[in-house]
Amino acid sequence: MLLAKAALGIGGSLALAGAYTFHQGLLRVDVDEYCARGAHVHVWLPAAVVPMAMHLVPESKMRCASEKARVALPLVHAIVKELEKYPNTDFIEVLDHEKHIHVRTHADKLQIDVQAPDQTVHVLCPLSTIEDVTSQLEERAPRA
Amino acid sequence: MVSHTRKFIAKAILATATALLLSPLGVLAQSAPDKSSSATENSAASKDRWLHVRVISSDANGETVRINLPLELAEKVLPAVNHDRLHDGKVRIDNAHMNDVDLRTIVDAIRTTKDGEFVTVQKDDCDVRVAKENNHLIVHVVDKCLHENCKNEKGEHDKAGARKSQVEIKVPMKVIDALFSAGKDELDLVAALRALSTQGDTELVSVKDHENTVRVWLDSKNVTE
Repeated sequence: MLLAKAALGIGGSLALAGAYTFHQGLLRVDVDEYCARGAHVHVWLPAAVVPMAMHLVPESKMRCASEKARVALPLVHAIVKELEKYPNTDFIEVLDHEKHIHVRTHADKLQIDVQAPDQTVHVLCPLSTIEDVTSQLEERAPRA
Repeated sequence: MVSHTRKFIAKAILATATALLLSPLGVLAQSAPDKSSSATENSAASKDRWLHVRVISSDANGETVRINLPLELAEKVLPAVNHDRLHDGKVRIDNAHMNDVDLRTIVDAIRTTKDGEFVTVQKDDCDVRVAKENNHLIVHVVDKCLHENCKNEKGEHDKAGARKSQVEIKVPMKVIDALFSAGKDELDLVAALRALSTQGDTELVSVKDHENTVRVWLDSKNVTE
């Protein structure tokens, strides 16, 4: 009986942790460069991990990052806030014989796809994650 | 009785825990690319005004560019851009680049003038027409392309007009007024966008030549046809 209770407790905790971890969906970055020594980056991780991981970054590094991003932060903040109003929309599409660039929102995620002869890039990031990251950078920016 | 209740509560907790455990899978499934629903949905935002840009090039590359921009998004985002001459949604105009032309006075003059043609140029190689019609400023340019590099394969100028380029710009006067509503040396882009959003469906810019077609238009659809 005690074992069952312990299992239930652990199971419940894992379930809650899992639900929280995946509540923002997946963050997906795929980069393939088709050249000698080209980079191949494939990152698939729960989007909620990113803001959580930012809490573990040393304060000095975060301050430095905030300082560098300071100029762009209000712009990113404004864009994300507005994009949230358009959850499924094609914004930019460039198409020719060789390449295809697509910027859109899909199911509350920002999706950027680039297919070119020399590289393929797919980025899928929940808007709420960008919002969280931006807010954290703004909060931790050095005071003027 | 107490034993039954305990079992029931334990089962309920187990069922809830299982559901919570499985819920991330549902999220994962949703996050996978769904091709069946890849077509852009008409959301509530379709009531808004959208600025569309479409460029179709018929050259060897066959490039097509489609931009769909909600005017509300542009209105909100532009003030956040502070770069070079653009600040708070306004562009600073340098008098040095205006060749002593007082744009504001010209706009005032156009606003108060009745409909009519202001500029008409008719030459062998190009026609230019600037007019005010139904509270719209209209600029119409036809370049007949009689330059050396515009000859066809036989080395002749194409009289049929296959090589000519045509530019048509139609801007509501309200938008121009709003654009010049800021300070003396500034153009208020946000005010212009706001004024634009009150307009009905309209084509603002059309450029056509033998290789490219460019269209900029305003409507309430969030997709290009």
